[in-house]
Amino acid sequence: MATLTLTDKDRFLINQEGQDFSHEAKTFIKIRELALKNLKELDFPTNKLEDWKYTSLREVGKTEFRPQSATNIIADKVNAHKIANLDAYVLVFVNGFFEPKFSEVVEDKDGDFIVTNLNKAKKEFIKLVEPNLGLQTRAEDQFFVNLNSAFSQDGAFVYVKAKARLDKPVHIINLVDGDLVAAYPRNLIVAEKMAEAQVVVTYETIDSEAALSNVVNEVIVAEGAHVSLDKIQNENENTFHIGADFITQGKNSVFNINTIPANAKLIRNNLNILLDGQNSEANLYGAICLNGDIHVDNQTFVDHAKPNCESNELYKTVVNDKSTAIFNGKIYVNKIAQKTNAFQSNANILLSDDARANAKPQLEIYADDVKCSHGCTIGQFDDEALFYLRARGIKETTAQKVLLDAFIGEVLDNIKLEAVREYADKLIAANFNSKN
Amino acid sequence: MLKINGLEAEIDGKQILKGLNLEVKPGEVHAIMGPNGSGKSTLASVLAGREEYEVTGGSVDFDGKDLLDLAPEERAGEGVFLAFQYPVEIPGVSNINFIKTAVNEVREYRGLPNLETKEFMKLLKEKQQLVELSGKLANRSVNEGFSGGEKKRNEIFQMAMLEPKLGVLDETDSGLDIDALRIVANGVNELKSADNAFIVVTHYQRLLDYIVPDFVHVLYNGRIVKTGTKELALELEEKGYDWIIKEFEEA
Repeated sequence: MATLTLTDKDRFLINQEGQDFSHEAKTFIKIRELALKNLKELDFPTNKLEDWKYTSLREVGKTEFRPQSATNIIADKVNAHKIANLDAYVLVFVNGFFEPKFSEVVEDKDGDFIVTNLNKAKKEFIKLVEPNLGLQTRAEDQFFVNLNSAFSQDGAFVYVKAKARLDKPVHIINLVDGDLVAAYPRNLIVAEKMAEAQVVVTYETIDSEAALSNVVNEVIVAEGAHVSLDKIQNENENTFHIGADFITQGKNSVFNINTIPANAKLIRNNLNILLDGQNSEANLYGAICLNGDIHVDNQTFVDHAKPNCESNELYKTVVNDKSTAIFNGKIYVNKIAQKTNAFQSNANILLSDDARANAKPQLEIYADDVKCSHGCTIGQFDDEALFYLRARGIKETTAQKVLLDAFIGEVLDNIKLEAVREYADKLIAANFNSKN
Repeated sequence: MLKINGLEAEIDGKQILKGLNLEVKPGEVHAIMGPNGSGKSTLASVLAGREEYEVTGGSVDFDGKDLLDLAPEERAGEGVFLAFQYPVEIPGVSNINFIKTAVNEVREYRGLPNLETKEFMKLLKEKQQLVELSGKLANRSVNEGFSGGEKKRNEIFQMAMLEPKLGVLDETDSGLDIDALRIVANGVNELKSADNAFIVVTHYQRLLDYIVPDFVHVLYNGRIVKTGTKELALELEEKGYDWIIKEFEEA
């Protein structure tokens, strides 16, 4: 008889079990089963993997995180996480579970759009969910994507009918409450032909000594559709946040994403964009300002699968104290994707001796008639500019803030919702000021 | 107003100023001339508080305060203004926000309340006209894409907004055509009063046709080696510096 030794991974996976998904339609159970099968074969990511070289998850594997619902959630504690002056349909999830009493759902099947929770949509709008859920199959080898697929409790479902437009943005609030929580929120956003949607996703903490937020967002931007996604990650310093976004774009579509990882113990983002129709355009922006001891790892992958598409990517980072920022941006241009325009830029400013930034741009180009560029810089605030401001009577701390706003502002200017922009501004200013 | 006594300063271990003395009283305009490398720009930089320069000796008294003890922003608050030889481009910071922040920070230092937007805009328009600076530049990033003349006019504009007691113009005339030179000089002349003073650092006598100095100093090898009136500048233009250097070395 073989001896059975449990690895960290085995123990970790056992802890995630116990949720009952048997009420789900077969098609969705299949997704979970496939993910479980993948998880059995995959190793827990370690630094030996190139993609995880700078981000260690050892502690995650050794911590007894478990899915658990929160009880007695007080309205005040949820309301504190709304964005001031943002007029939006709000959906609230705590530890991955839907909180209908704090949420505003719109479920008109014949109307222009649906804003509800995914579990309900899996039952009531199965024809809309089934063809779209599970694009993660292009990430079969990604442990944490499979983990979410296997154990996801719930998430948001945002659907906009062809030629329709969401009349308000949707704000998906994901909260964590409790210790050793494993939350697996999964959002599905579907914009049909020529549809328009603006979605804001925030990740925050009510109270937690230790948490794992393992999130997946899937976005389908059909032909001629326009979707923007603002993603703000602001959990507490006890949280491991491991997220992935999968965007699939049809021809003539436009997708904009602003990623703002503001706080957590560790944040890892895998942003995957597939430009799967001609003349589609993707704009990827990241604004990162870190203080204290935060580790943020942004991995982006733009797949130019069809000709005449354009992608613009700009990630800007300011790192202070003992924090670390990692950027790994890959652009892949298929051999048929002629006339591709792909631009990538990553600029980092280090403000302390212990601050770290790692930047790795990757271009893989198989077409011969393309315009692609990338640039990475790591430096400090311009001393000359700082002196110039001070020589005009501006205090050093104010002068630094002026330069920060100028540097990060180029990214934040792409947030079209004024209230969200202000919210992001405040988070960034708070991070910047906390050690200044 | 300003008393510089035996000022010594070095950069990267190289001594540039070697015991410089200069006294400036309210209402005066002093021109500092001298060959390349004599220490003219170093003097301007040390007065403004540029950190690369290390003061190794001497003192600078500004209205009873030890200027060398103050941070650059405090010097500006006290009323020292340096018009940069090479104004810095700051992408992403609009000219108008920059000057508004500066005006209000300086006012705060001087114990004055912030300017109301209306008052600020009025002041802004008035001072823009003074140096014929297009209002369009207000919304552009600080000095970014400005022509050489626009940059220098922007310096004088900032000086006008901040109302310093002592304006130090570091080769403000370099690279200017005659029209721009006239505008810049006119701006300075308009700002001149019995209560303020200017130090004009320049290579050329040309600027001094427009900004008439009360004193002309020749800086050589880190010291002022000759002081005269505006006629000295004309003489220098004609004969160069060699005769002064010779005179100084023989003395």
